[in-house]
Amino acid sequence: MSGSEAAPDAEPEAAPESESFTGQSVRRFEDRRILTGEAEYIHDKAPEGTLELALVRSVHAHAEIESIDTAKAEDHPDCELVLTAEDLKEHYNPQPCGLNGFEEWSLADGKVRFAGEPIAAVVARDRYAAEDVAELVNVRYDKLPPVAGASEARKDEVLVHEDEGTNVPDSEHLTFGDPGIAFEEADHVVEGEYSWGRVSGVPLETAGAVAEYDPEGDTFHIDCNIQLHTLVDDTVFETLGYDPDDVYINVPPDVGGSFGTKIAIHRYVNLVAMASHQLGGTPVKFVEDRVENLQGGDVHCSERDYRVRLAVDDDGTMRGLDVFFTDDFGAWPHYPINQVLKPLSVLTNSYHIDHAEYEYELVLTNKTAQTAYRGFGVDPHHYALEMVVDEAARELGMDPTEFRRQNLIDPDQMPYVLPSKNVYDSGDYPEALRRIEAMIEDERDGGLLDPEVVAEKRKEGKYRGTQPSVVIEPGVSGSDWTDRQRSDRDALADRTPDDADELPEHLRAEVAEDGTVRAYLATDSSGQGHQTLVAQLLADELGILPSDVAVDYLDSVDAPTEYGSAASRMAVMLSGAAEGVGEELRENLVELAADYWGVDPGDVSYRDGGVDRVDGDDRLELSDLADVDAVRLGESGTYAEFDYPHPARDVPEFDEAFARKYPVYPTAAYGANAPIVEVDVNTGEVDILEFYTVRDCGTMLNPMIVEGQAHGGIAQGIGAALMEEFAYDDNAQPTATTLFEYLLPSIKNVPDIEMDHTVTPSPFTETGAKGVGEGGMIDAPASVATAINAALDPLGVTADRLPFTPDRARRRLREAGVGPGTDGEGGDAVTDGGGSGRGSHDGRFDHADSAGGDRR
Amino acid sequence: MSVDDTPQTEPPTEEISLTVNGETVSAEVEPRLKLSDFLRREQGLRGVRVGCEHGVCGACTVLVDGKGVKSCLMLAVQADGSEITTVEGLTGDGGALHPIQEAFHETHALQCGFCTSGFVVATKELLEENPDPDRDAIEHGLADNVCRCTGYQNIYEAVERAADYADEGSHGGGDG
Ligand code: FES
Ligand code: FES
Repeated sequence: MSGSEAAPDAEPEAAPESESFTGQSVRRFEDRRILTGEAEYIHDKAPEGTLELALVRSVHAHAEIESIDTAKAEDHPDCELVLTAEDLKEHYNPQPCGLNGFEEWSLADGKVRFAGEPIAAVVARDRYAAEDVAELVNVRYDKLPPVAGASEARKDEVLVHEDEGTNVPDSEHLTFGDPGIAFEEADHVVEGEYSWGRVSGVPLETAGAVAEYDPEGDTFHIDCNIQLHTLVDDTVFETLGYDPDDVYINVPPDVGGSFGTKIAIHRYVNLVAMASHQLGGTPVKFVEDRVENLQGGDVHCSERDYRVRLAVDDDGTMRGLDVFFTDDFGAWPHYPINQVLKPLSVLTNSYHIDHAEYEYELVLTNKTAQTAYRGFGVDPHHYALEMVVDEAARELGMDPTEFRRQNLIDPDQMPYVLPSKNVYDSGDYPEALRRIEAMIEDERDGGLLDPEVVAEKRKEGKYRGTQPSVVIEPGVSGSDWTDRQRSDRDALADRTPDDADELPEHLRAEVAEDGTVRAYLATDSSGQGHQTLVAQLLADELGILPSDVAVDYLDSVDAPTEYGSAASRMAVMLSGAAEGVGEELRENLVELAADYWGVDPGDVSYRDGGVDRVDGDDRLELSDLADVDAVRLGESGTYAEFDYPHPARDVPEFDEAFARKYPVYPTAAYGANAPIVEVDVNTGEVDILEFYTVRDCGTMLNPMIVEGQAHGGIAQGIGAALMEEFAYDDNAQPTATTLFEYLLPSIKNVPDIEMDHTVTPSPFTETGAKGVGEGGMIDAPASVATAINAALDPLGVTADRLPFTPDRARRRLREAGVGPGTDGEGGDAVTDGGGSGRGSHDGRFDHADSAGGDRR
Repeated sequence: MSVDDTPQTEPPTEEISLTVNGETVSAEVEPRLKLSDFLRREQGLRGVRVGCEHGVCGACTVLVDGKGVKSCLMLAVQADGSEITTVEGLTGDGGALHPIQEAFHETHALQCGFCTSGFVVATKELLEENPDPDRDAIEHGLADNVCRCTGYQNIYEAVERAADYADEGSHGGGDG
């Protein structure tokens, strides 16, 4: 029996039966080097003679630096160099920030603004010695009162940046349609407050960089695991004060995860570069340790307090949506800051709602800065929106699934222009909802959700529930809108779509001597399998095997500025680029062969890894063509490059979004989830018994990789919903500085994920693929939270604060009068539709005291 | 590694001798040197990954006398006299993948791969103790290793497939 179980998700690397490799689960070329331990991550890089850097970090959250005494450190025989802000200011520039007007040095200048902020850098022969030296640096502080949360910071009593004059340096209030009328006329206005805890990607590999200054060429050569190295290299070369062409940033092919977080590791990159520069070119390396990463690595993400209102009619029609939130960005508004705007791309999620208001405040506090994390601010938005949808269903006394179904955008409305001007490309949301309901049908009848089982479990204090919904993942972000917060927003009304400047995706390919093909990516990877994907795509383009395509990476100087691997972009951008470069290469090869034979290009044709004469007389294989090209003068005939333009540029429906700099995301993948949760009301623990999901990302280029992305995203979503949080105490001291406190989901916390797919190709992309990288993280938290609402509905408790940790759950249950041992409460399995509705409200929020307060 | 060490900085060292992936190794090490750093830096076994250095993530897992150990929590001097296996020790002659490595590849049980060495080594220990683990046993056996990318789904499959391969092996290559 054994030996024949070719799993559907694991096709061999041989020639396919079907006509193409694209669409098949081609196994990854990245795997072998990783599995054997040969993969070289940044932690493994150490050129001959490399010295190591360690940082002295602030112990206080907010303080003036009175003095930094480095004498003892400098006297240590192992000390090679000590740097403070004073040295930096003599030779370099401040780091570019996400908002104009902030002057941030790579080491704290005069004042520290978060616990863990680097104050001095020391260099020694290795990390052990460097840490010895760092301990000898003596910093004297004059403590200032810290600001530990957004609600407090908004009062502006203590300023994180005095020059700014406020802790809210950026905010916007946008109105779409006529929400005023919608809210006035609707039968009900439902309102809720929801909080999203400070989370982040926490990849298993921490940040690292090795820099070598070349005194002869006056150039820098930097290996590091920064994400988007062709886009954010300005955070390095501008800080160093060099031209982009003099700072070579190279990212190893293997990066141990990023999930957006390594976009903002420029502080470390700058410091090793400066140190090597100061040492006349000795290579200097820094690898962040885990405590540094969690406490002061500039890598936290969204921490939001929401107030959301939904205007609904008695018949269940959603009429208007009103969203207000604050986002605690920590001490510096690091690039990127547009996570507060990305939710506009999916403003009403899967629901048809014509009128909406959207307002945010970006708040500064004494915490380590935010950067991007998978989902990029959409995850908390969907969570808050799905929470208020549940609230509205309760108020209306409607079944929450029916209420959702009734308001879903219909397939006939596709492509669907949102009030906020982004466009959903395609999708059948009612079908997705039907599919997910069908999937859990068995569970309701003899399974985990069988009414008898549910009633029996309640007697033990275990409440089960699930809540299907359809959640949209915006994909393939445009680049032009991303600097909206640094633009003159008043001038945007006068723009035309042509004013938008989009970055294309660059790809190169050339035929090597042996007839194999070498491709060069202008983006970096961190585990997504881009090398495999491009090998698959180009194999199809050129009629060869994926194993005949080797894929390499360009450094920041060689590559043009482009966006890179973020925002669920690569499947779409790389397939467009591969198609373009394939076509170009085929054309060049045809010309080369025609020239060689001395015939007209029309008399030859490209076929399966070679060029034929149409008269059937002769054929040149790729290796022959490489030989021909090698001895030929003039431009290479075996090389091609292509810049794939952003796919939304050709779609007129996006014109208004482009002109106004609203988020442009031309693909809308989606997931319909139904996690079955069980809440133990005695312990507050939430157990996910099974996670059902139906997903649609259009055409799947490599289903194995697509499913892997969804699995990983869902696991991170579960972490955000139930476990993970960078909490701070009242002194703004971080309380999660190790993985004992910042809890990552283990194999015990992630349930079986039962996954099904529908395929609705995108009309806007070359292959019909949609962006898929962020999916699970975008939809799972909302799904887990609403499943908890369903489970605890009889008790009138909701998951109004994520992560819904056991102690938070117990607090809510206690407030609802459910104490340990009160297993009689709600024991009769009655679904009580009333009770917890909040009643109607007129008018918008009083922002002075809204959104935030009790974050417990 | 170190250059001009002056007498007063000469760190104290101890002599250790141990077996690493089948080869006898002797070295002078600082008592404070972590086993993970000894293997990575001095033995060039960079497949030993370091994800937390405080014993939670399991990326640094190696076998010490057949038992899974987090090498970031052990000092090199403590490993004196023991037998150590890292992920590099699993790969066969000519680079042939070990059935566990092969199973991880076939089932897509790795993405960024930073946790993978630890999982492969932990799986080896698990399968040696329990050649036919059910899902609970897998969960128990791998509970000390964190993967941030895969959501663990395919790791279950990898372990099950590796167990099948081992089974086939012991039956002389399968029963047809
Ligand atoms: S590095 Fe040893 S357990 Fe994380
Ligand atoms: S594959 Fe990235 S941590 Fe496991």
